[in-house]
Amino acid sequence: MRSLSSDGMRQLGILLKKELCQLLASRSLLAMLLIFSPLVGYSFIQAVSLFSEASRSALQHTELAPGMNPLDGVLVPTLGSLYLVTTLLFPFVAIRPIGMERQTGSLKLVLQFPGSVGLLVAAKAIAVFVLWVGALSPALLALCFFGGMGGHIHPLELVPLLLGHALYAFVILGAAFLISALADSASTAAILILGLTLGSWVLDFAAGSQSPGLLRDLSQLSLTASIRSFERGLFSFAVSARLLIMGVALLTSTAACLHAGDTFRSRAKRSAGILVTAILACFLVSAVPWYRDFSEDRRNSLPPEDETALRQMTGHLKIFVFLSPDDPRYRDLERQLFSKFRRLISGVEIRLMDTGKTALFGVGGGDDYGLNRYEYEGKAEESRSTSPREILPLLSRLAGKTEQGTSSFFYPGYPLVADAERFSRFSFMA
Amino acid sequence: MLEVEGVTKRFGEVEALGGIGFQLRPNEILGLIGPNGSGKTTLMEVVSGLLPTDSGSVHWEGSHLPPKKRKDIIFYLPDGVLPYEDQAAIKVLRLFAEIYESPSQARKLAVEELGLGPVLGKRVGALSKGYRRRLLLALALLSTQPVLFLDEPFDGFDVKQVIGVMSLLRKVKSTGRTLFLSIHQLHDAERMCERLLLLSGGRLLGTGTLPDLRRQAGLESGDLEEVFLALT
Repeated sequence: MRSLSSDGMRQLGILLKKELCQLLASRSLLAMLLIFSPLVGYSFIQAVSLFSEASRSALQHTELAPGMNPLDGVLVPTLGSLYLVTTLLFPFVAIRPIGMERQTGSLKLVLQFPGSVGLLVAAKAIAVFVLWVGALSPALLALCFFGGMGGHIHPLELVPLLLGHALYAFVILGAAFLISALADSASTAAILILGLTLGSWVLDFAAGSQSPGLLRDLSQLSLTASIRSFERGLFSFAVSARLLIMGVALLTSTAACLHAGDTFRSRAKRSAGILVTAILACFLVSAVPWYRDFSEDRRNSLPPEDETALRQMTGHLKIFVFLSPDDPRYRDLERQLFSKFRRLISGVEIRLMDTGKTALFGVGGGDDYGLNRYEYEGKAEESRSTSPREILPLLSRLAGKTEQGTSSFFYPGYPLVADAERFSRFSFMA
Repeated sequence: MLEVEGVTKRFGEVEALGGIGFQLRPNEILGLIGPNGSGKTTLMEVVSGLLPTDSGSVHWEGSHLPPKKRKDIIFYLPDGVLPYEDQAAIKVLRLFAEIYESPSQARKLAVEELGLGPVLGKRVGALSKGYRRRLLLALALLSTQPVLFLDEPFDGFDVKQVIGVMSLLRKVKSTGRTLFLSIHQLHDAERMCERLLLLSGGRLLGTGTLPDLRRQAGLESGDLEEVFLALT
């Protein structure tokens, strides 16, 4: 990659300053911050309140304590408000740098500035992203407050959590830029980008509990689904790289669309080239099975011996699941086992079978409902269990192995009874 | 010298410019006149590289000047833009001065000659129409390209202000820059420009000095308005 010359750096600095000044003076940013601060405060207070209620029982019955995890109980719900704001309000801030300049005609002046269009787009993107990071402060303040109340925060768990939200915001930013470069006015761009973010949310929400099919497959592509693994403390190289590639491709396409003097055909050609390259790159990075479990309770990992044994299963493992997607047992299996199998066993195929049960109060499809079937190299076993303690030995038997993993790891849990009401004042001040 | 050859631009079925060609000589003031919708703004945007052409080319000092390189030579000031309305005028001026590395004399000239001093601290959105026009002109003066394209530079000014702006533009010319002005008021064009291009319906109907245009119109005498009416 060609390094930026000192002239380019000087121009970037000037443009960055200009973009920051404009954004700081904009009402959309002010509105986002005015809504975000109380929203964080409310989410945090609610999360701490629920966590405290559950902690009371855990303090009385120590066997319940390992279930008291601040990541699920406080960190994720508090940053959930960030997700809402990034989905619903951040697009209005992100369309502004290009949308308003298009609308007022100043883009014609800016495009004549020395330096490339790429530099211009980069300055705008950096400015918006810097302000997004700045807008995190109420959420970070809430987490500091939680620590101050005696709450436990495992710092490493924050790494994937914040990274996931940052990558999600980066993609939204890229999409907002591209849409505002294509749309005639800032208001049209606002409607389109909101349609995209809400569409992605609805797709995940509506299709997530559907039976297997195209809609369910599509829901896996939703942006909302992509940050879920980060919320579980899991860093996935493939997911991170895919989001990063998407964001960069959208910004590069924006620069291609803004190239003054280019015909529509040449812009479309360049954008298509960028899109195809990005899809290929996403496809390539998806094949890199590199993960790191940052969660303190190691929820995304199995005992090391089991992980080694599963990695050695190079054959084709078929799992036929006779459960409805909204059945809690299926969710347990997915969380505790299937998601890990997909990372560890290259040849795993998990099929969610049609059970005829489509609604929450639907009737199960006969005696086989809940009886899942595992097939590996001509051998098969069936089990109704959702516990790793039963399923892992079952797989060992199928693989013809006798040794089983034993884990000495113990997560103590961090119950906390606290009152976060005092934070409400801080959140409004922030 | 800037040379434009056979520039054609279509918007769907409509031909906005049909094979326009002209020369912009060094250090001259060339006026672009024509009725509303004749293609004046389109011509300026196409030649300055902001709009793609369907055919035609632009040369600078004998070498082909591709659209991407035109911003190094030409600064185009569009009509009716309102840059950074929520920023103070001084900030916008500073931005342009910094990005173009304009000499401090140019900043002083822009602010003093255009009388922007009293409104430097005001938001651009709060400026009157006249001051907005002055601010835009100041931005053009802060650019450093050798050729300036100004779309309706006298629009929004009263008679006295127009005379002031004309004097300022002549000073700009004296610094060695070349000016290409799109002017709606024929009287102003006649007073300001050394040569004129007459555009109508996307076609070039006449080019040259006022006597040249008179000859092309078959008139022995008459001002630009009469020539314009005879040619269009």
